[in-house]
Amino acid sequence: MPQFLLRRLLQLVFVLFCISFITFMVGHLAPGDPIQAMMGNRRDPRLYEQLRRQYGLDRPWYEQYAGYVTGVLQGDLGKSYRYAGRPVWDLVKQGVPVSASLGLAALALSVLVGVPLGVLASVRANGIFDRASMTLMLTLFAVPSFVIAGLLQSLQVILFQNDLPNLPTSGWGKPENWVMPVLALAAATMGYLARLTRASMIGVLRQDYIRTAWAKGAGARRVYMHHALRNALIPIVTVLGPSVAFVVVGSFVVENVFRVPGIGFVAVQAINTRDYPVIQSVALLLALVVAVMSLITDVLYGILDPRIRTQS
Amino acid sequence: MNKLRLSTAAIALALLAAACGGATPTPVTVVQTSVVKETQVVKETQVVQQTVQVQVQVPVTPTPAPGNQVLRWAMEGVNEPGTLDPALASDSQVVFATSLLFRGLVQLDSQLRIRPDGAESWTVSEDTKTYTFKLRQGLKFSNGTDVTADDFVFAITRSLDPKVGGGNGSYYLSNILGAADFSAGKSTTLPGVTALDPQTIQIKLEQPSAYFLYQLNFITGYILSKQNVTAGGAKWYEKPAGTGPFMLKEWQHNQKLVLVPNPYYWAGVPNQLKELDLVFYGGDQGSATAYNDYQTGAVDIIGSFGQAPIPSQFVPQVKDLPDFKSAPQFFVRYIGFNDTLKPFDDVKVRQAFARAIDKTQLIKLLGEGSARAQDRILPGGIPGSELPITGLTFDPAAAKQLLADARFDPTQKLVLTYGAEGDNAKVIEFIVQQWKTNLGVNVTAEPLELQTFSQRLTDTYNDPAKGLQMYYSVWGADYPDPQNWLSQQLRTGVGNNNGHYSNPEFDKLVDQADVEVKDAAARLKLYNQAEQIAVNEVGWLPLFSPNANAMVKPYVTGLVFTGQGIIVPDWSAVRGLAQ
Repeated sequence: MPQFLLRRLLQLVFVLFCISFITFMVGHLAPGDPIQAMMGNRRDPRLYEQLRRQYGLDRPWYEQYAGYVTGVLQGDLGKSYRYAGRPVWDLVKQGVPVSASLGLAALALSVLVGVPLGVLASVRANGIFDRASMTLMLTLFAVPSFVIAGLLQSLQVILFQNDLPNLPTSGWGKPENWVMPVLALAAATMGYLARLTRASMIGVLRQDYIRTAWAKGAGARRVYMHHALRNALIPIVTVLGPSVAFVVVGSFVVENVFRVPGIGFVAVQAINTRDYPVIQSVALLLALVVAVMSLITDVLYGILDPRIRTQS
Repeated sequence: MNKLRLSTAAIALALLAAACGGATPTPVTVVQTSVVKETQVVKETQVVQQTVQVQVQVPVTPTPAPGNQVLRWAMEGVNEPGTLDPALASDSQVVFATSLLFRGLVQLDSQLRIRPDGAESWTVSEDTKTYTFKLRQGLKFSNGTDVTADDFVFAITRSLDPKVGGGNGSYYLSNILGAADFSAGKSTTLPGVTALDPQTIQIKLEQPSAYFLYQLNFITGYILSKQNVTAGGAKWYEKPAGTGPFMLKEWQHNQKLVLVPNPYYWAGVPNQLKELDLVFYGGDQGSATAYNDYQTGAVDIIGSFGQAPIPSQFVPQVKDLPDFKSAPQFFVRYIGFNDTLKPFDDVKVRQAFARAIDKTQLIKLLGEGSARAQDRILPGGIPGSELPITGLTFDPAAAKQLLADARFDPTQKLVLTYGAEGDNAKVIEFIVQQWKTNLGVNVTAEPLELQTFSQRLTDTYNDPAKGLQMYYSVWGADYPDPQNWLSQQLRTGVGNNNGHYSNPEFDKLVDQADVEVKDAAARLKLYNQAEQIAVNEVGWLPLFSPNANAMVKPYVTGLVFTGQGIIVPDWSAVRGLAQ
C-alpha cells in the first residue's frame, strides 16, 4: 500500500506539471490579449508597452513559464492582470471554501438520493416506480446544468409573483441560498448515480451467491443491503472520482447563475478577461482536487474489494 | 413605448421623478448661499469669470439620525471590483463605485455641465493654460480629517505614476504640463500640478483645452487622503477615506459592496439611506440573474451600465412597465473599414457600402424606440450634434453607381468581422443581406469571441496589411465633448483609429478645434466641418445609437438618466426601500 500510494503521488505531481504547462501554453497561444482587455476599447501604444513590461509579458514564453512554475513551487500563484495586480491567491482563497462546501453538499445529495433511488428501482425492476424514477433521473442527467439552473431561477420568480413561498434567486451567505445551487449542481450526478446503481444492482442480483443468500433464508433487507449493495457499490465508488470532475465543471455554470462567490465564479470572469494567472491557478487547483479524488477512489476501491487490495 | 426623439438644442434627458418620497424623515439641514466663482469655458463664446450663486446644503451636525432605507443597485458585467483605487479602477461599474467614495475638484451636473465639487471656485489665466482652484472651506474626508491642496497634488501625481501602474491617468491627464514624461518614467516630477498654499491648487496645461475639466472630472482626478493611502499599504482602498457621498462599510468579495452615508459629505448627506448596496453580477449570466433578482425584489436598479443592459429577450415583457427606463446614451455602433487595403482604400467603395444600408429597416429589426439611426459620428446630445451634417443616406441606385465607378473587383472575398455578443449577429446578418440585395455583393460574416475580436482590432491597428477588412465596432463617450468623438477616433494615427482613416484637412480642423477655448461656437463649427469630411469619406459607417435600457423600482427617486449614464444631482434626495 505505501508503495502504491507513493507511485500514485508521483503520478499526481507529473499530471499537475503537465496541466500547468498545457494551460500556460493554451493561454499563451490563444488569441486575445490581457493588456488590451485591461485597457478596454482604448488604444495607447506607449501605455500598452509599459503595462506589458510591468506584467512581464514582454519576456519570451519559456521565461514566463519558468517564472510561473518557480513561483507556484514557492507558494506564489502570481498576480492578477485584471484586478490591478492583486495576488491570485487573494482572489481565489475566498472561493475555495465556498466551492468546496457547495460541491460536497451537491455530491452528498446526489449520493444520498441517487443510490437509494437506484436500489429501490432495481428491487422492482421494470415496475412503475422504476420506470418513472429512472425517466426523471435520465432527464436530470441529460439536461445541461445551465438549463436546470435557469429553470430553477425562473421558478422562483413565478413563485414570488404569485405570492407563494420562494427562495432567493441569487446570492450567498444565508442557509436558503444553498438550496437551488445545490439542486442544480447535484442534478446530473444524481441522475447518473441512480441509473448506475440500478444497473449495477440488477447485475449483482442475478449472481449465484444472491440466490444462495435467498436459499439459506436471509431476509430481503439483508440480501439487498448486505449482500447485493456492497458489491454493487464498487462501480459506483469508481465513478465518484470522475463525478467530482462533473460537479467541478457544473460549478462554473451554477455559481455564475446563482452568483455564488466560488472558484467557478472567479474563473469565468478570468476567462472572459484573459486573466491568465487566475485561469492557470484555478485549472491547477481543480486538477489537484480531481486527481486527489481519483486517488481516494482507488484507495476506497481496495477497501471495498479485497481482491484488488491483495493484487496491489 | 415612448418614442424618444433626440433634442438638438440640449442634451436629451430622461428625467425620473426627483420628488421626495412620502413621510420619510429628512436630515436637518440649513440652506446656505455661498458665492462661487466659476468659469464656463465650453458653452460661452468668451472666457468670462462668472460669479454664480450656488445653493449649498450644509449639514448642521456631522451625524444626524440615520434613515431606515436601503438601496440595492445592480452592477452587471463584473463579479468583483478588483480594486477601489481611483488610480487603477477601469471597469465602468468599478469607476461608478469609486465615484461614490471619492470625489474630485469638479463634477458633472444632470445637464452635463461642469460644476464645483471639492473646489469652491477656480480661475483660468488669460492664455487658458493655467487653472487655479480654491478648495472648499472646511472640506473633510470621510474619516474626519481636513482636505489640503497637498492631498490633491499627491492623488494626481499617483494617478500618473508609472510605479502605481494605472491605465487611465496618462489618458485623461495627459494634457497636464510634464505628465507625458512623468508617466513614461522619463522624469521624476510632475511640474504641472502644485499646491500654492493649503487651500490653493494650480494646474498648468501643455496646450489650451476646452475639455480639460471633463478630463479632470474622471476618477483619476479624485482627491485622496495622503495619510490614508500611505498608511494603508498595498490594500489601502479596503479602508478608504474620500470626499464622496458614501463610505465603505463592508466588502463582501464576489458579492457586494455595502456603503453607508459619509457624514462629512459637503453637499447634502444621504442620511435617509441606511445602506447603499452595490451588488455585483459577473459572468455571461450576470444580466439575466440580475433581471430575475429584480423580479423578486432583491435589487432596486438594473441595466444601468451601457455594456451590460437588460438582456434584449426580456425587453418586450417589461417595456410597458413604469419601472422601465429607456434613455438615449452616448454610444454609436458603426462599421469601420481598413482604409489601407483593397477594396476599401477606395473612398467610392466605402461610399457605395454606406449608401446601400436601409437604417430605418435596421431600427425596426432592433425594436422601434430602442435605438436611433445614425448618419453622422456625433450622437445626439454631444455638443456640436446640434449643427447639421449631410449624411450619406440610403440610396441603392446611387450606391450601385458608386460601385460601378470604383476600382472594385467583384471576385475579391469580403469579410465583415464582429464580436459575438448580444444582438450583434442579428445586426450583421441584416447588413450582409442589405449589401447583397442593394449592391449585389457577397460579404461573409465572421463572428469572433470578444477578446479574440479585440486582439484582431489591435492587429489591424498595428499592422493594417494583416488586419481586418471591415469590422463592427462601438464607441461610448468618455466625456461629453466632440474631441472624444472626432480627434480621438479619426485623426491620423490616433490610438482608436483602427481603420487608418486619414485626411490632412480633417486633421488640421480638429487640431485647431482641440486648442480653441475662447470661442466655443467657432470650436464646434471647426469640429462640424471635420465631421462632415469624415462622413463624406466614410471614416466610420455609422449605423445606430442604442438606448440604455434600465429598470428602476418606483420608490427609487433622485436619479437622472443622461447620455453619459445615470447622474445623481443630489444624493440627499435619493430614496430607497424602507425597511
